Amino acid sequence: MTLSLRSFMRHEAVLGILLVLVLFVLAQQSDKFFTTANILNQGRLMTEIGLIALPMTFVIITGGIDLSVGSILGLCAILLGVFWQNLGLPLPAAMALAVCVGALAGLVNGLIITRFKVPPLIATLATLALYRGLAEGISQARSVRGYPEWFFVLGQGEVLGVPTQLWILIVFAIGAAAILGLTTFGRATYAVGANETAARFSGINVDRTKLLIYTASGLVSGIAAVIFVSRVSTTRSDMGTGVELDVITAVVLGGTSIFGGRGTIIGTVVGLILVQALKNGLALSGVKGDGTIVVIGVVLIFAILASNLFSRNGDG
Amino acid sequence: MKTKTILMAASLVLASSAAYAAGWTGGDDLPTNPLACDATPGEVVAKPYDGGVPTNAPDRNGKKITVVDVPKLIGVGYFSATTKGQAEAAKELGNVDVKTDGPTKANIDEQITFIDNYVTSGVDGILFAANDPVAIAPVLKKALAAGINVVGYDANSTPDARQWFVNQAEFNGVAKSLVDNLAKEIGEDSAFAIVTSTFTTPNQARWIAEMAAYAAKCHPKLEFLETVEAQEDNVLSFNQATTLINKHGDKLKGIVGMTSVATPAAAEAVTQSGLCGKVAVVGLATPNAMKPYVEKDCVKSVVLWNPVDLGYAAMYVLRAAADGTLKPGDTSVKAGKLGELKVVNGSEILLGSPFVFDKSNIGQFDF
Repeated sequence: MTLSLRSFMRHEAVLGILLVLVLFVLAQQSDKFFTTANILNQGRLMTEIGLIALPMTFVIITGGIDLSVGSILGLCAILLGVFWQNLGLPLPAAMALAVCVGALAGLVNGLIITRFKVPPLIATLATLALYRGLAEGISQARSVRGYPEWFFVLGQGEVLGVPTQLWILIVFAIGAAAILGLTTFGRATYAVGANETAARFSGINVDRTKLLIYTASGLVSGIAAVIFVSRVSTTRSDMGTGVELDVITAVVLGGTSIFGGRGTIIGTVVGLILVQALKNGLALSGVKGDGTIVVIGVVLIFAILASNLFSRNGDG
Repeated sequence: MKTKTILMAASLVLASSAAYAAGWTGGDDLPTNPLACDATPGEVVAKPYDGGVPTNAPDRNGKKITVVDVPKLIGVGYFSATTKGQAEAAKELGNVDVKTDGPTKANIDEQITFIDNYVTSGVDGILFAANDPVAIAPVLKKALAAGINVVGYDANSTPDARQWFVNQAEFNGVAKSLVDNLAKEIGEDSAFAIVTSTFTTPNQARWIAEMAAYAAKCHPKLEFLETVEAQEDNVLSFNQATTLINKHGDKLKGIVGMTSVATPAAAEAVTQSGLCGKVAVVGLATPNAMKPYVEKDCVKSVVLWNPVDLGYAAMYVLRAAADGTLKPGDTSVKAGKLGELKVVNGSEILLGSPFVFDKSNIGQFDF
């Protein structure tokens, strides 16, 4: 345990150094990069990805994956609009209901995975298509617009000078870190990912753990959807397409092992910030979009190689 | 609540009765304004300026400005052509530094992030083609608030989020041209289907609504089958067109492609199914993509404007807005080799009537 703990620290240390290095270089490239306004604004832009990355860390630690998060986001966004405009519900009720549907969608993922023993990759690949299809069908391909002004506080407003949704992200991140690091549930999560059979025999309710985690993944995707709609002030059925890849990138870059059993929330947060800083900083220093994607790919490979190198040294 | 919904529905139906009466899908629910069945031009209705104004913009008159162009996506022929036009105009003007940057997929979120970053980096002007008119509005308003000149082209935002919009062709004009050519090729009482990008893409939705209204008015016997989404994706467009051919069989006499990706893909699908001459393809596309099909007589008419001119005009309009020579209330603007362009709809600049490429002229165009 101490050994593996040390290798966690190693990866995070590598990542931390990389982040400082990247921030330093980018700050040299553009004087607009290290301004409070820009940093807060980046916080606004990365909140949806950041929120979904938190439960995704749990999911990947159990050795699973959830590819359907982008589609759940799209579905919840559309339903928020439909509940509010077409069914005439008050907006707060519509928001709550949309989030509930997200949780339900996550629960369905969890049930398929635990009850029918379908590998998470396949189960959520299927629901990725299913939920997106539902979103497009329900929306009848029309956008819902014209939300009241107060609704935009969530996605476009500020509280104490900091974007509203960034507060939400911070609270959720601290909560997730506490659950993963300090509770029995967190230890059960690691145990399931490290060795599922062993976890079962040591009396951990593996299915319940997974079910809760996938439900949380859907729930948080629903919350991200509400924030997203508030930020862009409209709903479309293609919202959140490809979000799953950005989320998984942040989590994996943060040192969570895709084979399960390893990973931390702090790592995910650093990974998230690193990707966002690169995207923003490179754009500000005049690198075009296509160049930015290449750099992010290279950094991802480099970070994983470096961490593998160190952990091998640590093990051997 | 119920009566209110019914009233709302009733007013919607009234506003666009034709689109709903004909049961077309893929259109939007804004009011339509079909042109006359003959060649009478539509009237230009005077409307007060409804665009936005940049806050505390510095005096840029005659000074060198840096401009960034954020199209819906990069790496497609259409937006390469608008980029070319912008570069041409910038070269003529001599005091503009322009570059194109944008997402590789037509994604609202990525486009917003790109613009946001350029606002932070402090450019003088932004040219854009919106992936969603409402979603892009907050970030454009932020640009205006930062004193940046904002001009749209190709796909509009809500008017108050930008200063001017260069309209490549009025929606009813394009709709008329498409439906007239379609009816000419397949006959008045034949059936056709539409391949579009997505049902919410503003331009395509608007054209389809206008087509429905114009067809109801001037070609009432045309039978609309369905509209399918293909997201400006080559493979998907081809598959969707093939599905249409298989699904509707002999009944299908025409396919209308609403994007520069869908039209050549539909033509390819028709060619591969050996139905050249039996299923007509009419649509919006760039000439280069359509040359092989037009030369083989598989496609007779391709409707479009010149995207190089569109980019060119957008650059001139942005320069004029930055110089202060184009002000709210003006009725025309000088755009280099294109001459004087008309201001319509309050804050839109009209490029001209759509252009029909056919076998006789397509060889003269290269974009």
